[in-house]
Amino acid sequence: MANSTQQQRRTLLKGVISASTLALVAASGLLLPQRLLAHWPMDAFSAKTVEDALMALLGHAEIVDDSVVQFKVGSPPSYAVNGASVPIEIQSTLKDIERIAILVEKNPNPLAMSLDFTPAVKLPFKSMIKISEDSLVIAVISAGGQLYKTSRIVEVDIGGCA
Amino acid sequence: MGLIAKDRIRAKLKEDETTVRLLLAHPMHTGRGKNEAGELIPAEFIQDIRCWRNDDEVLTVKCGTATARNPYFSFQLVGGQLGDKITIRWVDNVGAKGTAETSVG
Repeated sequence: MANSTQQQRRTLLKGVISASTLALVAASGLLLPQRLLAHWPMDAFSAKTVEDALMALLGHAEIVDDSVVQFKVGSPPSYAVNGASVPIEIQSTLKDIERIAILVEKNPNPLAMSLDFTPAVKLPFKSMIKISEDSLVIAVISAGGQLYKTSRIVEVDIGGCA
Repeated sequence: MGLIAKDRIRAKLKEDETTVRLLLAHPMHTGRGKNEAGELIPAEFIQDIRCWRNDDEVLTVKCGTATARNPYFSFQLVGGQLGDKITIRWVDNVGAKGTAETSVG
């Protein structure tokens, strides 16, 4: 009697484990066609440091720290209670912007967003990002073959990387 | 997803600029968060958002996991006319897609 219950329990456990593994694999996107992901710069978004992310995304990481790029005052705020949604607003006097990258230095993957601009688009650009802990938030603009950046330290109470 | 919401988009012409505001309904799981039972929630986040004005592609936004839940974006387009059609399409990392459309008012 005891034996057969054991046996049933084993079969049941086995079934549950294999089913959940399958579900995990399906959900993690391993079964996706590659075509879908072709336009998404995987190595830039999975980079672990700001320099690596910029290298992968923009080809070089030499930056002019210049006053032509600004964050709006209070956006991002220097102190945010909830890191899961921090407003951010970028302004600039630059023309011919090709690309903008938004990075959070201490996040597990620093690159938060990359915007490909056409001449029809104008700043300011606003959005919301997640910040995992007190960190430097960086905006890098690529225009005319050069990179310009601005940054601000943001303190967060509740980390927002869940 | 448990979210009863839809993507929202507004476009407004003011002087010589069109302001587009976009709010997408998406949980944006990073793959590091846990559910109530303490299990990891698999990553599910928007990767690619494209915006068209009439037939011209004007902006591409690529998102990583650090984009907030129910992502919000706002940007300006140079010029524009009343009645211009603004179209948005997004794709996430598990292949879900969405689209939103509005005309400039």
